[in-house]
Amino acid sequence: MSRLLLALRLRKVFPDVLRSITAGLVLAFAGSRANVARTILSCAGIVVGIGALITVVTAGDLGERYAKAYSESVAGRAATFQVDLMAELEDLEAFEADLQRAGGTVVSLSTWISGPVVRSGGTPVPDVAFAAVDASLSDIRRLEIVQGRWFTEEDQESLVPVLVVNEELAGLLGDVTDVEIGTRRWLSARVVGVVETSAFESYPQLYLLRSPASEELMSSLSSSEEPLMLSYSVLVPPTDADPDSFLYRLASASWRWGAPTENIDEFVSVWRSDDSEAVDEMLGYLSMGLLGVASITLLTGLLGVLNVGLVTVRERRRELATYRALGASSLTLFVAVVTEAVVVSVVAGAIALTLCLAGAWVVDVLASPYLPSDVSVFVPPEAALVGLASAAFVGLLAGIIPAWRALRASVVAGLRE
Amino acid sequence: MEALFAPEEQEAPTGPLLRVHDLRRSFTVSGTRIDVLKGCSLEVARGEVVAVVGQSGSGKSTLLNIIGLLDSADSGEHVFDGVDVTRLREGQRARLRNERIGFVFQQFHLLERRSALANVSVPLVLAGVPLVRRRAIARELLESVGLGDRLSSQPHQLSGGEQQRVALARALSLNPALILADEPTGALDKASSTMIMDQLLDHARSRNTAVIVVTHDPEVAARADRTVTMSEGRILPAEEE
Repeated sequence: MSRLLLALRLRKVFPDVLRSITAGLVLAFAGSRANVARTILSCAGIVVGIGALITVVTAGDLGERYAKAYSESVAGRAATFQVDLMAELEDLEAFEADLQRAGGTVVSLSTWISGPVVRSGGTPVPDVAFAAVDASLSDIRRLEIVQGRWFTEEDQESLVPVLVVNEELAGLLGDVTDVEIGTRRWLSARVVGVVETSAFESYPQLYLLRSPASEELMSSLSSSEEPLMLSYSVLVPPTDADPDSFLYRLASASWRWGAPTENIDEFVSVWRSDDSEAVDEMLGYLSMGLLGVASITLLTGLLGVLNVGLVTVRERRRELATYRALGASSLTLFVAVVTEAVVVSVVAGAIALTLCLAGAWVVDVLASPYLPSDVSVFVPPEAALVGLASAAFVGLLAGIIPAWRALRASVVAGLRE
Repeated sequence: MEALFAPEEQEAPTGPLLRVHDLRRSFTVSGTRIDVLKGCSLEVARGEVVAVVGQSGSGKSTLLNIIGLLDSADSGEHVFDGVDVTRLREGQRARLRNERIGFVFQQFHLLERRSALANVSVPLVLAGVPLVRRRAIARELLESVGLGDRLSSQPHQLSGGEQQRVALARALSLNPALILADEPTGALDKASSTMIMDQLLDHARSRNTAVIVVTHDPEVAARADRTVTMSEGRILPAEEE
């Protein structure tokens, strides 16, 4: 019975509430249009505040993507172990198999070597960094191919060493179709691809695929006075990225590849090479800092709109009293004043967003030569969303207090002004 | 549009349109209590034009504000259109004011930077009248007060007389049962005053709308069906006027 009464009461009250809200919305839009100067004044503060907020969120996003690109390009994706051999092992093949058994999802030789020289057209290129790798390295590190391709399984069948060079080295070589590589004697080599010169490592680099064709070259390096110390990049699940546990598991089968379990540290070292933990920590601090800046920015914008709102209500006492006299209910007036503030804020937020989009485009054009190719400057959707939502929230907050004051004001006193 | 206070929904609105009895209202200013209304009583019939005269400070405007539901009496009886308004909630008072009472103020109280059409539309907006319909009503009313060619003019572009005609059109927009006019000609020259009163009374009589007009102008008062005089917070009996 009481439910029925409530339903009947709601049926009677709801149209009144709806009418009040609708009228409030109409008055709000009419008010915003009629008081252009006030609207622009309110807008200006919000545009600055929301613009700063969007910029801060955009900068945070850019920083995160840049840091991730740096980390993945230089040190590997999360989580990458660097496994260094400090002595020659009896059975390298068994060791590599155990790297996978111990938890590695992707394993690649990743050994920086010194000694070989590369040349094209007879002129050797000095100071080239050589890395002997497997094709699977591209699954571990971020490598942007700008020309040709990365290594494939078919390259194992090549009769000549297969190379991928970076843009820097490709530029120094000139003709990459006629490349030779060697230590004591020159071997013809085939360049199958060119990777982007990393913004973080701008020197000439060369990746040599470990294959039967490169065996002679590798052997010549191993047989020199200082034996070649091999290193591996091993991708492991981020949830299982404890180097000590990995080494412990690896050591349990060390007899297979000829290293004593008790002295495993003298043969193998394992350390985490990717920077994702450090980056995450840094981004955590960055986020907190940006959140602080954004909060202050937002608060400043809020106070600006609140100030304009309060001044507006004081200046509009007569207008608001006229509305009351003509039959505006408290709800209508409340909705009108709050909606005006929200509409002005959201419009200002949209203007700020437009300016930020334009600004991001300009910065992207200017900064693109200095950024990795897959890191561009743009306003991320979450920044736009945060900006517009904050604008609406600020408008709501800044509208409620003036609206409350408007309701408390005496109609008779307002009409006398 | 469903009217909350439509006469057909009330209990036989055959009595007076307005009945106030023994209204009392006081204000406290700087700790001093000032009794403005000291037992004010008045009845107004449907379609009747009543002029309220009296010296400044006699309580005319306070009475008008209470009758117009802009203010509330401290005590006393107040029945409008068969409804005891002292028992109404704020929202109901606002709706009653919107649908059944029109105001014409001395200072016009038009909304600045809003066209004449928009100004006349305000009560219609508050009543929930759809856009097309309210534009048509506002246009028709402005034409009826001779401002058909000034629809888009804003208040500052209109003379005092024209502004008051816009205010009159606004007061008539929902065809109220009562129009309250507080010194409607106080800010106008003689020619404009005459025109406004002509239009106010013509419209009121053609629609059977009651009018209470507060005035200091004997010529305005003389055009009413009845004149009552206020003095020291009371309406004087006819024999004392």
